[in-house]
Amino acid sequence: MKKKSAWMMLAPGLLILLVCLAIPLCKVLIPTITAGSYPFSQYVEFLQDEYYQKIFLRTIRIAVITTVICMIGGIPTAYFISRCPKKWRGLLLAASIFPMMTNSVIRSFAWINILGSNGIINNFLKFAHIIERPMKLLYTDFSIIIGSVYLFLPLMIVTVTGVMENIDDDMMEAAQSLGADRLSAFMKVIFPMSLPGIIVGGTLVFTGTLTAYTTPQLLGGNSNMVLATLIYQRAMSVGDWNGASVVALVMIVVTLLVIKGLNAFAAKLDKRGA
Amino acid sequence: MAFMELQQIDVCYDKKKKVLQGLDLSVEKGELVSLLGPSGCGKTTTLRVVAGFIEAENGKFILDGEEMTKVPVHKRNFGLVFQSYALFPHLSVYDNVAFGLRTRKMDKAVIDQKVNDILKVCGLTELASRFPKEMSGGQRQRVALARALVIEPKLLLLDEPLSNLDAKLRLTMRVEIKRLQKRLGITTLFVTHDQEECFSISDKVAIMNGGVIEQYDSPENIYKRPLTEFVARFIGFENFLEMTRTADGGYQSADGSVFEVEAECPQAPFLGTIRPDDIRIAGPDQQKNVLEGTVGVRTFLGKNYQYEVNTPAGILRVNMDAEHVFEEGERIRLSLPKDKMILIKKS
Amino acid sequence: MKKKNTGLTIYAAVVFAFLMIPLLIITVTAFGGGSAIVFPIDSFSLKWFAEVFSLKSFRRSFLTSLEVAFLATMIALLVGIPAAYVLARSSLKGKQLLKSVFLSPTIVPGIVIGFILYQFLVLSLRLPVLVSLLGGHFLVTLPYVIRVVGSAMEQFDFSIEEAAWSLGCPKQQAFFKVVLPNVTSGISSAFMLAFINSFNNIPVSMFLTGPGISTFPATLMNYIEYNYNPAVSAVSVLLMAATVIIMVIVDRTLGIASLAK
Repeated sequence: MKKKSAWMMLAPGLLILLVCLAIPLCKVLIPTITAGSYPFSQYVEFLQDEYYQKIFLRTIRIAVITTVICMIGGIPTAYFISRCPKKWRGLLLAASIFPMMTNSVIRSFAWINILGSNGIINNFLKFAHIIERPMKLLYTDFSIIIGSVYLFLPLMIVTVTGVMENIDDDMMEAAQSLGADRLSAFMKVIFPMSLPGIIVGGTLVFTGTLTAYTTPQLLGGNSNMVLATLIYQRAMSVGDWNGASVVALVMIVVTLLVIKGLNAFAAKLDKRGA
Repeated sequence: MAFMELQQIDVCYDKKKKVLQGLDLSVEKGELVSLLGPSGCGKTTTLRVVAGFIEAENGKFILDGEEMTKVPVHKRNFGLVFQSYALFPHLSVYDNVAFGLRTRKMDKAVIDQKVNDILKVCGLTELASRFPKEMSGGQRQRVALARALVIEPKLLLLDEPLSNLDAKLRLTMRVEIKRLQKRLGITTLFVTHDQEECFSISDKVAIMNGGVIEQYDSPENIYKRPLTEFVARFIGFENFLEMTRTADGGYQSADGSVFEVEAECPQAPFLGTIRPDDIRIAGPDQQKNVLEGTVGVRTFLGKNYQYEVNTPAGILRVNMDAEHVFEEGERIRLSLPKDKMILIKKS
Repeated sequence: MKKKNTGLTIYAAVVFAFLMIPLLIITVTAFGGGSAIVFPIDSFSLKWFAEVFSLKSFRRSFLTSLEVAFLATMIALLVGIPAAYVLARSSLKGKQLLKSVFLSPTIVPGIVIGFILYQFLVLSLRLPVLVSLLGGHFLVTLPYVIRVVGSAMEQFDFSIEEAAWSLGCPKQQAFFKVVLPNVTSGISSAFMLAFINSFNNIPVSMFLTGPGISTFPATLMNYIEYNYNPAVSAVSVLLMAATVIIMVIVDRTLGIASLAK
């Protein structure tokens, strides 16, 4: 292919990306770096502010916990799906994809019904006379975590299933014939072999939770803010556009660091020969 | 009782179809026994029952006087070599081979000693730090073998281990497997669909068809004296003639030609069978064991020609050396020697 | 019989119950007759479905969302397919870098995309909100096109294209006559994924609302914050039914795995 025609085919996309992404990003974010008494002073202030610190750490904590739970729930399930007979595999895959295709508002709304003060859990416990007054389950970090797990567990399952499907049954059988029971064969063979896919899934879940807006907005409320809801609140409710921009850049940087870090880890694993 | 016994093994995959039916097999200590048959005959299933991957519906598996039927795979201590080799891609050759010893929580120094010993025996010492994807098919095969042998298994199970190698390497590897097996004196089950490979390596061969063993004997005996039509066809008997017994104790084919046969069969209906290689040109005064026919299609096989000869008893495939060439349409008299012809029961 | 692993089966069953039960509960509550959401329902009624269809803001925003998702996806395909072809095929230097440029919208959080587009396109350039919304959703859809069509292109054996050239077919024609027909399933699954994800997206649209312009999920979200009634359940059921229909169609045509990318 000629160089010129190749660039011609890339040009429209690059142009829109320039106008809709690159320029707006620079226009909005660069001033936040130069403004203030010295470069990055706003960021230093952001990280020193106790209120922001709390939100920042909450966001990270929720993302970490969600990722870990998604791994614990998703990896064995993915393995189960990958070992199913073909017709079952399609059905189970569809059952995992279905929530992914369902709007996140709906998926969060589902947990309002379950966790709310008049929700299913509280009503049941009251009915069974285990509690007198409804427990506060909704609008807590806990509800955000449950909602996020609910949001991202299917993604983890689908991603890891994709990798595990390509691992031959022989691998498990070989390990068992060499004296490993199922669990240790899984841990020593299947798990390390699917680690690259698990890392990809983990990255998607972590960055997804880190930047999710809908779920923390609906299940966290105003008292349990995370970075994404903070941007909106800063800009729209308080009118602090500058503050919102600072949060925006913080989110981008954290996302990038996580992706780069985990990619580097995955690349290192790849070199081992898998 | 033999060292290894399968007794009345039944396996079904779904409710209706039986994969193995009342299968019996006994193997003596130190023997190399092959399971030979076309795909779908149940040979791999048999191996997987022994390995413990498949639970038999009925029947017993006894090894060295101990019932193994319910013992889980990882406690059986059998060495397995897979058709795909199933080397762990994330582990080096050394770690692959050490895997079984590590799961047994052996002492590090002992593991190192054993791994290095087996790597040396299999000629892999130089490759110890390589990863599977950096090796050739033959090398991977050796690693798979070393990995299975290092745990000092009670049984070695080989599932078509040579089928992914090219023809030349296959010859070398099968000699090597035989050498290792004899040297370590390890009882071995070998699954294959390649008749030549199987006969060259085995002490005994079980020929399987439709979930049962049709014949179980030494390769020489099976080669000389197949007992069923299936076995005969499978090992290269290509000519089959329907025979009836005559009053004087001889046999005759459908057209009335008279035959004498050394290898008789107790039960009618009879089929006389003979390999294309064993048919000769009859002498002028030979009367018995002769069929006259017309030469049909001729095919060049390299060291000889194969002819299709139309006789009153049916079409015969005949291999003749290349010194004299018969032309299409030529009449010839064929001799089916009585020591080469075999009678089996028609199935 | 192959040996089964009961423990693992139970584990997976629990996980799938966790995934399915909340959606089942919504479905049940949609048919409640009371004015509040209760489970189990005390009376059966379809009135909340009628309510949904009578809400003007739902209707209008639903159409807006369909329009935006469709247009954004079409633009992304138009722009993305040639780009994916170049990225799969050419020997340009820095191809890897170019690919990551085309995928870069994935690393910018949705809420940030909405935020910067609102500031730059709406406030600075004074572009209409709808155009900005399209721009934002283009950023959502483009990576799907690049990834899915790109992988279809990479799997396509390009010696087939060379065969077309050798038969006297000009390069441009060969692209349309040989390459495109062979990556149609990739293009279709890219369309489905991009469309669905654009339709469902919320964070990008949160800032990009204006008089009379709001996407459906954003409207739904606002509605939930002020009204907690079975109408939301009814909307959810309708959307889930649509999702099921789409999934069945995709399964029949492209295979369900094409949505797992």
